[in-house]
Amino acid sequence: MNEIYFNIDAGYLEGIVRGYRDGLITAPQYMNLTQCETMDDLKLQLATTDYASFLQNEPSPLATSTLSARCTEALVAEFQYMQQNAAEPISKFLDYITYGYMIDNVILLITGTLHERDTHDLLEKCHPLGFFDTMPALCVATTVQDLYSTVLVDSPLAGYFRECLSAEDLNELNIEIIRNTLYKAYLEDFYSYCQSLGEPTGSVMAELLRFEADRRTVNITINSFGTELSKDDRAKLYPRLGNMYPEAQTKLARVDDMDQVKSILEQYSEYKIMLAGVSMNASSSGGNSSGDLSLEDRFFAKEVQLNKESFEQQFHFGVFYSWLRLKEQEIRNIVWIAECISQQQKDKVNNYTAIY
Amino acid sequence: MTSRGWGQLRSRKKTTSIFRSEVMSLVQLYIPSDVARYTVAQLGEMGLIQFRDLNQDVSAFQRSFVGDVRRFDEIERKLRYLQSKIVESDVDLYDFLDNEFISAARGPRDIDEMEETVNAHEGRVLRLTAAYKEMQLTHVELVENKHVLEEVSSLFTEITGRQSTAPTAHGSTSGPLDSVPLLGRTDTMASRRSIGSMDAARGELAFDAEIGGMSVGRDINIGFITGVISRDRISTLERVLWRSLRGNMFLNYVDIEEPISDPRHDEPVYKSAFIVFAHGETLRDRATKIAESLGATLYRVDPSAERRQEELIDTMSRLDDLSQILENNRVARINELTSVSEQINTWFTVVRKEKAVYHALNLFNYDSNRNCLIAEGWCATNDIPAIQSALHVATEDAGSNVPTVLQELRTTKEPPTFVRTNRFTEGFQNIVDAYGVPKAGEVNPGLFTVITFPFLFALMFGDLGHGFLMTLCAALLCYYEKRLSWMAKDESLRMFYSGRYIVLLMGIFSMFTGFLYNDIFSRAMAPFASGWRWPTDAGGEGVVVEATKLGHTYPVGIDPAWHHASNSLLFTNSYKMKMSIVLGVIHMTLGICLQVPNALHFKKRINIIHVFVPQIIFLFSIFGYLVFAIILKWSTDWYARDAAGELTHISPPSLLNMLIYMFLRPGSVNESERMFSGQAFLQTLLLLTALVCVPWMLLVKPLILRNEHRKIVSEGYGRISSHVRVSTEADGMAGAVVLSEQEEMQADDFDFAEIMINQSIHTIEFCLNSISNTASYLRLWALSLAHAQLSEVLWSMIFQPTLKMSGALQPVAIMFGFAVWFTLTFCILIGMEGLSAFLHALRLHWVEFNNKFYDGTGVKFEPFSFKAVLDEADEQ
Repeated sequence: MNEIYFNIDAGYLEGIVRGYRDGLITAPQYMNLTQCETMDDLKLQLATTDYASFLQNEPSPLATSTLSARCTEALVAEFQYMQQNAAEPISKFLDYITYGYMIDNVILLITGTLHERDTHDLLEKCHPLGFFDTMPALCVATTVQDLYSTVLVDSPLAGYFRECLSAEDLNELNIEIIRNTLYKAYLEDFYSYCQSLGEPTGSVMAELLRFEADRRTVNITINSFGTELSKDDRAKLYPRLGNMYPEAQTKLARVDDMDQVKSILEQYSEYKIMLAGVSMNASSSGGNSSGDLSLEDRFFAKEVQLNKESFEQQFHFGVFYSWLRLKEQEIRNIVWIAECISQQQKDKVNNYTAIY
Repeated sequence: MTSRGWGQLRSRKKTTSIFRSEVMSLVQLYIPSDVARYTVAQLGEMGLIQFRDLNQDVSAFQRSFVGDVRRFDEIERKLRYLQSKIVESDVDLYDFLDNEFISAARGPRDIDEMEETVNAHEGRVLRLTAAYKEMQLTHVELVENKHVLEEVSSLFTEITGRQSTAPTAHGSTSGPLDSVPLLGRTDTMASRRSIGSMDAARGELAFDAEIGGMSVGRDINIGFITGVISRDRISTLERVLWRSLRGNMFLNYVDIEEPISDPRHDEPVYKSAFIVFAHGETLRDRATKIAESLGATLYRVDPSAERRQEELIDTMSRLDDLSQILENNRVARINELTSVSEQINTWFTVVRKEKAVYHALNLFNYDSNRNCLIAEGWCATNDIPAIQSALHVATEDAGSNVPTVLQELRTTKEPPTFVRTNRFTEGFQNIVDAYGVPKAGEVNPGLFTVITFPFLFALMFGDLGHGFLMTLCAALLCYYEKRLSWMAKDESLRMFYSGRYIVLLMGIFSMFTGFLYNDIFSRAMAPFASGWRWPTDAGGEGVVVEATKLGHTYPVGIDPAWHHASNSLLFTNSYKMKMSIVLGVIHMTLGICLQVPNALHFKKRINIIHVFVPQIIFLFSIFGYLVFAIILKWSTDWYARDAAGELTHISPPSLLNMLIYMFLRPGSVNESERMFSGQAFLQTLLLLTALVCVPWMLLVKPLILRNEHRKIVSEGYGRISSHVRVSTEADGMAGAVVLSEQEEMQADDFDFAEIMINQSIHTIEFCLNSISNTASYLRLWALSLAHAQLSEVLWSMIFQPTLKMSGALQPVAIMFGFAVWFTLTFCILIGMEGLSAFLHALRLHWVEFNNKFYDGTGVKFEPFSFKAVLDEADEQ
């Protein structure tokens, strides 16, 4: 990416996205949010943020689900505004970002269909950024082959799906495998696409995507404990990139419990700091222990930090990706706080990941 | 703490001017709870007082009146909903405002009533809309069903049409032809044939028709589904169906002409009716599922033509009924909304005012012992009587007999700056505020800006014609200012509108300077007899002629004879250059002199003796002398001859050289450049004076300050005031709740090094600036030159040639030339040149003038006013 020409196509959008970033909720605002007693207070506090216009016409009392939906709406509106104003190659880059959501939606629909949920409910739960026009038809597919040939073949995910075709029937485990294989292919493709964009997008995105890959690797490892997944299969699901590729991945493929994972992670300085004080059992049991942050939260915090760093550089597309991640984290925070308030669990309200 | 009575207040009343900001008072109001709302509303109408936030450490939702704020937020939300519905249904919005309700005191009952009414309206509109939506759904269903029936019929007819043309070889009839091939669910041999594609399907149908013709009752089993889907989805549907049924289907669709307004979407959607033939129960189920998941609505259609016809008629009649109901609902809704629209603006205004009132109340402290609210705020001391009477009115409105008590507080806090402006001075004050709001008590440059700004502008924009056009435009703006007040809301026009009086003065002054420069659209005027005469006999290209001087001087301004002289530029340049320096020095002197009233006001004698005096001496000994030399040079007749016919003076001296050599070779003046006797001595003296001033400015003030400080310390008073606050006043105070709040301590730690550094920076800056700023005033000449030359070029290149033309085309050319010339004059000379001269005048004020005396570190006074609240709401 040549800095001289960067602003011709991307200058406006970069300005917009940096403006969006400045609209993110800051630490003092979080303080105010956490002090709220009721959802109405929360709504009042949010009226000073970018979410104001999405919430102002909601009648009281506000439900957490509505809040979450409205916040996501705000995110989607902002993202779509950028998409509509994007020219090549940013538009392509933004499309790539949405593929991740498509994968989530596809998996959600398949799982839902497997459990015979109502199609319309499922469609409503799908992330709006991951919509593609043949997506609703997923709910008729019953075999992997079907999935591919009827629906996914002309979606952007088609290329990623090729490796999954060997799986025979759809069951819980296979769906998980499909999800991870898809995501693996997606990450690798996204990574190589970012590299093709040249510097500094390449290096900034490389950092972010490597982290994402590492996180997935660890999660896959942890989640595969006690399942039928063989260790060879597990190794196949690891994205072929990241700081832990290939050396630590081969080790992780063979571990059996959390302590081993921890000892492998500790060899990496950036993760070692992160792991300090994490009770590894908490994350495997769902991170319910109050006060102590789970591994997942630590990963989120690390992600936030990386994404903040990407704003320190200019003339690259990583800011779009980072902004979306930060905004998502912010929505998670707001929803968490809202849940704590509505369920009267004020002692846990501070377990959010502050951004700025 | 002293509270003053009425008489004292009135006696303290000072005449207000914009020379200084208003004297402000920090007042405390003890408002009984039951009149609080009325009081604040009354104060909001007047907009005289700026409340301080007494609950700074309390977050927004923990304040006392947050419930009320929320209540009005809710009403506002409902109003917004009603308004959106009004806009949606194209009902006219009335601009009507019920002034009585808006401005009169509203009791809680009025508000309750209003809320009730709004709620009732909202409820009715909600119900009507919900009913409408529900019926609309049914309506859409019926409409779609109708379309499906129609379109499917046509599809069937198409197919059967083909069928009937197919040879029915045996001539045997088999009932209604159109229903034959697609009827029946019995498994037959034919059904097992897979139908490959669309064409194949058609072929198959034709083939089946023949079979049907041969053997009655052997119906094939091709079921179908019909439905409606939005038009952009149809290709997706076809593709997905094709893939998932592996091509064993036949889809046909017809676009429905008119868009269908679906209540689930905001806008009417274009849809298509489709029919899918697929054989076998499983495949049909599959197709159904796919179609539904893609958002299609499916309708059952009977294969038999008569039944379809019946159904169609039935649908139509139901549709008619429903349309009737819908229409009634619509009328009811519009009636409802019309009645709302008459009041909605009033309600909005009232709700916003009430909300502002409660926001203000949230700033107050609540004293539960006395059941009253304590407010603190700034107001102009002159406005206290007005506030008193407002409080009185509010108490009466509330029907209470406990009065609100107003008390003035003595404070060391820096008050906000309130400069009372009017329509005329507002624009000029804005120019000053853009640089910095004056500190309380500081001399406000706004007063001088009113005249100096247009004047300096006019020096750069001197042209009678251009000035006249500018005056004309501004005069129109000023004359019709009420009618044109909408311009204030438009972002790009606001600049011109709010600056209309500035532009007016700029125009008038430009006319004046244009007259002096003798320029009207770059042409000369000759209202008086010229002091020069051109020879009449000389002529021809390239011949240099010399004008002869007549006995008298041109009375005012520049002699028109200069206009065509080849050395006119030399003359005007030298004239305007000198004029710029003279005016610049005067302007800066004014700036320096304004330190005196500042020093007097803040009681800092030291600033007069050791800052102002050396500064003015420094400036005068160098640039004052230059001005003197300029005027001397102007007033001397350098070509005067004495009785013997000898030149009395040697030659006109170069003033620039004089100034330079005054520094480089003090004590000697070149004999050929001498202006008066004793010049060398005077110059040396002045130079020495200026040099003396530098250490004076640099050292004296800090040293005096240090001595004073040492004296205080040696007497044992040092550092007491900075740590212990002796507050005897607050003890006696009854309602000391508010005062107990910590006032910020005045840091008066004495740091000699810091003062010294500051002083040396100031001194160096002043000395350098006096040179660079004087030079900076040369922009007056430069811009004036550019303006004159540009307008000259425009005239001689565009309009003048057309005047010299001959022939039949001349009138057309003149017309065209004039149009172009006038447009360019207006856009470039008046518009762009005007803007650039404006900017330069701005700079001369901000940089050259203001930095001589003006701090501009004040905070603007922003009174609590409904007008501001409503304006802000309007802008959103």
